[in-house]
Amino acid sequence: MRKAILAATCASAALTAAALAQSKAPGPFALSQAIEGQAAYQGACSACHGKDMKGAGEAPALAGSNFMGAWGNRSVADLYNMVKASMPYGNGNSLDAATYRGIIAYVLAQNGAGFGPTPLTGTEAVKISAIADGKGPAQMESIPHAVPSPPPAAERPATAYPPGRFGLIVPGEVKEYRPVTDAMLTHPADGDWLMYRRNYQGWSHSPLKAVNTANVKDLQLVWSWAMNDGGASEVTPIIHDGVMFLSNTANTVQALNAATGELIWENRIGPAPTRAYGATRSLALYGDKVFVPTTDAKLYALDARTGKIVWQTRIEDGREGYSNTGGAIVVHGKVLVGLTYCNRYEEKHCFISAYDANTGKVLWRFRTVALKGEPGGDSWNGLPDEFRQGAETWIAGTYDPETNTTYWGTAQAKPWTRATRGTAGGADLYANATLALDPDTGKLKWFYSHAPGESLDLDEVFERVLVDHGGQKDLLTVGKVGVLWKLDRVTGKYKDSAQTVFQNVYTSIDPRTGIPTYRQDIQDAKVGEWVSSCPGPAGGHDWPATSYDPDTDLMLIPLHQSCVLMRGNPLEKKIGPAATNAGSQQLFEMPGTDGNLGRLAAYNTRTMKAAWSLQQKAPFLTGVLTTGGGVAFVGDFDRRFRAIETRTGRTLWKTRLTTSVQGHVVSYEVNGRQYIAVETGLGGGSPVAKPTTLLRDVHHPGNGNAIFVFALPEK
Amino acid sequence: MRGSLLINLALVLVSGTATAWAEDFAAYLAPAPVTDGTRAVITGQGRAEVRLDGNQLTISGSFHGLASNASAAELRSGNGIGVPGDKLFDITASPGRDGGLSGTVSLSPAQLVQLRHGHVYVQVDSQGAPGGNLRGWLLPPHPFAGEDVPVKGHGFLPQLDVPQK
Repeated sequence: MRKAILAATCASAALTAAALAQSKAPGPFALSQAIEGQAAYQGACSACHGKDMKGAGEAPALAGSNFMGAWGNRSVADLYNMVKASMPYGNGNSLDAATYRGIIAYVLAQNGAGFGPTPLTGTEAVKISAIADGKGPAQMESIPHAVPSPPPAAERPATAYPPGRFGLIVPGEVKEYRPVTDAMLTHPADGDWLMYRRNYQGWSHSPLKAVNTANVKDLQLVWSWAMNDGGASEVTPIIHDGVMFLSNTANTVQALNAATGELIWENRIGPAPTRAYGATRSLALYGDKVFVPTTDAKLYALDARTGKIVWQTRIEDGREGYSNTGGAIVVHGKVLVGLTYCNRYEEKHCFISAYDANTGKVLWRFRTVALKGEPGGDSWNGLPDEFRQGAETWIAGTYDPETNTTYWGTAQAKPWTRATRGTAGGADLYANATLALDPDTGKLKWFYSHAPGESLDLDEVFERVLVDHGGQKDLLTVGKVGVLWKLDRVTGKYKDSAQTVFQNVYTSIDPRTGIPTYRQDIQDAKVGEWVSSCPGPAGGHDWPATSYDPDTDLMLIPLHQSCVLMRGNPLEKKIGPAATNAGSQQLFEMPGTDGNLGRLAAYNTRTMKAAWSLQQKAPFLTGVLTTGGGVAFVGDFDRRFRAIETRTGRTLWKTRLTTSVQGHVVSYEVNGRQYIAVETGLGGGSPVAKPTTLLRDVHHPGNGNAIFVFALPEK
Repeated sequence: MRGSLLINLALVLVSGTATAWAEDFAAYLAPAPVTDGTRAVITGQGRAEVRLDGNQLTISGSFHGLASNASAAELRSGNGIGVPGDKLFDITASPGRDGGLSGTVSLSPAQLVQLRHGHVYVQVDSQGAPGGNLRGWLLPPHPFAGEDVPVKGHGFLPQLDVPQK
């Protein structure tokens, strides 16, 4: 019997060690709290922060030197209040107080604090460094009261959805499916939406005109469809010949009749969401296959007719934290995908890669970090290669068929601050850059570094939009700092820029090269020093994508208006720990905005002048869709989905949906009827998390991933 | 006349000397930097209006919704709009969760420059957040068009001292 108890408690080894540790002064918690906290941690926290508390992705380490660097000088009450208010991610204050106290007790125990006679209340002013050292729990002893741990989260089905079973759950067949050709991708049919931003040029524009400024007020809901909950959902429905291919969390893919919402087939590839991010932003179509880059860094090809898996391959090892959330683009029968969460100190680095659409065979890889001895390798201040991290590609690229070039943006270097990284003002190539690659070989044609020395978690990773002005082949992109950049997409030369939101990060931008100069105190900031950044890490611009309207030459840009005080925390330079989170952030409203976090602005891409802008309390959380009818669509944090006149920004129609309107709006046509589809979604990273901290009087339900489809009444 | 006005304005901007006419500034007071953990303590909002007559700055305003009583208020200045910095002057705040702001101070030429560059801000402290509960940068008055109401152009405040390119 005793053996059985010991076996049952074996999985609780980490807790038992921690709970009995008495290496420093007794901690302000009871043993029973830490025991209960272990179970609660495994159920509610470990999926993001890891069983070992080392953190992953955007989830910071909760044990060890990195945790102590961030929290050692703060109080137990601070930690309790932070966790209670904001965790689990996206569902703050959703557990009972005793559970939060248990989790804090367990975290403290794992950092070497010993238990004491007094239960934790959450009001303790004692500094964490006074009771814990981050060196791990002391020697394990027997622990008769330990409770068995649940199985690790990664092996459990999600508690909400899907309920445990994976595979081709609903078999079916798309009748009369027409394989997608290169010609279709280059010149998409008006009624189709075949890729992330509909065309290779990344416009997010539909030429359909049936819905226009005069009749948009008559839009009505045609059908809706509940999607998987349990993870971030910012998806783009893909439509071909009246069939909608929809990605859900848990890497679930569905084929639906796009006119009626009838399910045709469903393949739950899995695994269940184990992290805060849950669904790829976009699928891709080519030939008779649907390509699914998964959140565990694999690439699947499904039979578009039946949903059956044709092949699968590994992009990287998802167990190490790698993921693909940015979707894919198919060029010449090659599936091009990026990679994200390359944020640990290790020998490997982030890359863009291409796979044979027929077989899944890897064709090339382009590493987005320049190593020692390589061109650009001297831009990391001499750092050893294993400490050059980041430069993720978490938004799929675009493609110019005329020059046969694919364009990708990269994320910032990791860790966030240059002081923590140790890279001084180096460009950290190819972080925060535009990359122009040959899609057939992966060879670099040119690059442009937008923000050399970036230090504030301000990505320039977002969509590269390709626009021609007469003979000028331009590339436009806007990043978190809110500068709209215009480059010559043939040469990579800087052409122009425009601010789209207030910023105090750059004191100047060189009119010839476009190289920005950072405010002096940002340049001088040392580890542990707070610096102000407007915009903060929610942008400016973030993943809710721009839309380019060729009829007006306007680019409509969803923007966010908040600022941050940011501090780089110390981080051990050793292989292993999660790197990105060696920073602390405090948010505040942007000066001059009167608390309006949301901004939508239209810029003429030839002149780079603003045509119009509007502000509102709630941030915009969808990409914008412009249409041939002169109407644009966008959704926001406050559940509103609206149509505006592209030319003026005037609101023409709006409705309110079930939760935050989030994802990418698309339009398509079936049997001569135009449809507008939009997602309600949860998760969403900084554009959601930051407003949740700042907005006190705007609320939306914490579940409700779904698709809503609108159309004009049938005649 | 127009020429002399421009010359006068240029002198003001360059040297930070006083002007012969009054200038107005306003600040929307919002919670000072918060985290999820502190947002229950750092609450409220308010407004401050400033008239600058020569080098005499007169401030008035109000606040409401603090989670604890106001304990102090200051004019402060950093090295940019939105960049916190050092205290310039104490001003008066009513000692309640809702209340008023008032004060008159004389600015030095350097402080005039800071004000006109948007670096000066109002800070209200409270018992629960003694390091800053509400903050707002003093900027030229800028009426908000309203939700859903587009305006022509970019619609955000001029950068004042931060060149666009």
